[in-house]
Formats: sequence, C-alpha cells, structure tokens
Amino acid sequence: MNLYDPERDRVRIAGRWLRWGLKWVAVPAALGIFVSGNLDAHALPLLGPERETAVLFQDGQAYFGHLDDSGEGGTLLLRDAYYFADAKGAPTGLSVGLVKRGTEAHEPADGMRVNRDKVLALEQVGPSSPVAVAIQAERDIDHESASVLSLNRRTVGSAQVLTLQRTAAEHDIQRGYAAATDQLAKLNELVLPVTKAEAQVISQKAVADLRAVRRNALAALALAFGTNANDAQAYANATEALLEGQTFTNEPGVLLAPDLNAVVSRATQLYTQVGDVYAKQLTEPKTASPSPSPTPSPGPRP
Amino acid sequence: MMGRYRRVVGWIRAHRILLRDSALAIAVFLAAFFFTQWWDFTIPSLGRAPYQAVFLANGQTYFGRYYDRIGAYAKIEDVYYLQQVSGNDASQAPDTRLVRRGGELHAPTHRMLIPKTAIQFVEDLTDASPIAQFMTQDHR
Repeated sequence: MNLYDPERDRVRIAGRWLRWGLKWVAVPAALGIFVSGNLDAHALPLLGPERETAVLFQDGQAYFGHLDDSGEGGTLLLRDAYYFADAKGAPTGLSVGLVKRGTEAHEPADGMRVNRDKVLALEQVGPSSPVAVAIQAERDIDHESASVLSLNRRTVGSAQVLTLQRTAAEHDIQRGYAAATDQLAKLNELVLPVTKAEAQVISQKAVADLRAVRRNALAALALAFGTNANDAQAYANATEALLEGQTFTNEPGVLLAPDLNAVVSRATQLYTQVGDVYAKQLTEPKTASPSPSPTPSPGPRP
Repeated sequence: MMGRYRRVVGWIRAHRILLRDSALAIAVFLAAFFFTQWWDFTIPSLGRAPYQAVFLANGQTYFGRYYDRIGAYAKIEDVYYLQQVSGNDASQAPDTRLVRRGGELHAPTHRMLIPKTAIQFVEDLTDASPIAQFMTQDHR
C-alpha cells in the first residue's frame, strides 16, 4: 500500500505557494516598482499636469522639453525642446531669451538625443515658471492645441498669458526705441563736426526711421498673433500712439515666447543699425572729396 | 431583479478565490508603487551629516541633501549654490552669497538629479560649517 499523498508533500506545497506568490505578489510588486520608477506621482500621465524637464549641460547650456530617460543606454531623448540664447543688453531686461529648437539653419527634426555623459543635472521645470509660461504662449501662437490623450499632456497658454506676453513685447519694443532715441539725444549734446541745423535734420530723419522700425515691429507682433496684414497695421498705429513717450524703465523683465522674442530681437538689431548710421552722419566731418585724402588729418577722427 | 442579484452573488461565490487574489495583486501593486515613490531608489547611508557638498565635473559645487541612488543618477534635495555678485565698483572683489535653487527662470522643484558621471566627489558638511548652518536656519 502506497502511503505517499501528493497533497501532503511539503515540496509540492512549497512549489504551489511559490507559484501563487510569483503570480499574485512578485509580478504585481515588480510591475509597481517599474511603473513608479518611470512615473512622477505629481505629473501622472493622462491626468496630471505637463512634465517639463530642464536639462543642464556641463558647458552651461540649458534645454527644456519632454524628457524620455526610460532607455537603459547612455542617451536621453528630449522632445519639443527649447533653449536659452544669450540676450545681454536686450530691452527685455533679461540676460537670456528663449529659442525653440528647430529654427536653426540646419532645421533639425524634433527629438534631441543627448549624451548623458555631457549632462550636469536634470530638474523639473516649475509649472508656473517664466520658462513654462513662455513655452505655453509659444504653443498658442503656433496654433498648437492642448493634447487630450497623451502620456505627457501639452499645456497651451491661456488668453491671459497671451495678453501678458503681448504687452511685455510691446513694452520691450518701446524700451528699445526709447534707448535708441536717448542715445541720439546724448549724441546731439556733444560738440559735433556738423552744424546745428544739419544735426537737427539728421536727428529728425533718425527718429523717423526709428519710428518706422517700431511700427513695423508692432505690426510683426500682431502678425505673429495671427492678425491679418491690414489689422496688423491698424494695431501698430494705435499701439504706437499709446506707447509714445513711455520708457517702462522700472518694469521687471518678462521671458517672451520665442516667436515674440524674435520680433523684439529683430527690432533691437534694426534700432542699433539705424542709430549707427545716423551717429556716423552726425560725428563724421564732411569732406570736400569722397576719396580719402593722402595727407593725414590734423586731428583724430571721432 | 432578484434573479439578477442571485446570479451576481453566485458568480462572486464561484470566483471568490480569483477575486481575492486579484484584490491582493492590486494592493501589492499600489503598495510597491507608493513605496517606490517615497523610496526613490535611494541607497540608505547611516551616520552621515545632514548636508553635503557635491563637486561637479565642470567646476560647479552644489550644497544640499545628497542621496546615492540605484541607477545612473544621484539626487540632491534642497539645493543651494554659491553666486558671485559684482557691485557697482569694479575695483572691489565680487561678493559671494549662498542662493537657494528655485528662483531661476525655470523655477525648478527641490529635487535635482545628477548623472553619477558628472560628479567628481561628495563631502559631508560639519555642523560648524557656515554653509550648513545657513541652510539649517533657512529651512526653519
């Protein structure tokens, strides 16, 4: 008579428990750890707010975007990337401006593969930080819609954000204009090699050109917001009248959306070019002949 | 109505073991999920100072609560760094001050991940360290 009862075999019982434990405990626990390791509880996919990551490089550059660091290789993938460009001396009052990756001469496609060895640090961008707000405004300007079903939902700027950005850009354009006219006025206070009457004519032309730059910049701003050409011109004329005479010197700087920043940067470049041209006319003595004289001039040229 | 109710109760009775095991699996999944969120793959280190100085490959130094983690990244929480501020007088040496990270244009959260390859070395700050004292006071 066989006394062996497989139901009472300790090895078999242990095996049954192990199989049960693997199926109902170990696998869910491993899954929980894996999912949690790749998720941020503060920005859950589908439900939570957008998770924007700052990638700080060892050479001092900073990029912002949707980071995918799930791969075990040494490469990170950064999508929808933005970065800081130097903007010292810009009328925004900030030392950097935000630029969208993809607008460079080589027009790279979306998705930067970043070597982890070159990364200094990763940080979460604050959802209401100037960088996040500028990115949200840029998406709105580019007519991107907020994604509904996405692992990392894109947020689009509200009407209030857009108004703040437009106002800040208008003020930046006016600040650049005020700085350029101020520079011109300071130049007129110097002893110039041209007569007072000539200096006045040159200065009037300079101010007219600077105004044209300001008006065109305001129109470009309206076009960036999707206004048609006629309305943009009307907006520029109306806004120019409101801005006239204001300096906004004590206003805190606002980080602009890349498209608005490009308009302000272009206007600043043109203000400088116009200022340089007329400064040259004001400070260069008139010569009888356009050809350079072989004899050295008696005094140092300014 | 009663027939439907009985069918449901009957189905629950017939599958009670499967339901019990599934509920357990969900509970284990959630427990593992929240435990990992709290744990954050950090490696516990006993007897260390509350604050550390982290010297990085590019010459920068961050101060804060340093945690070694499983994987490619280490973590610093409540990060501070030294900032040099030049005054109006160019002949004077710039002032150095300790700044809490978070007020930058991207307003980062208090957690910073650093690839281990970017770290040169880490040092504990003693209780007498003026930087540690400043950070302790700042947290109060």
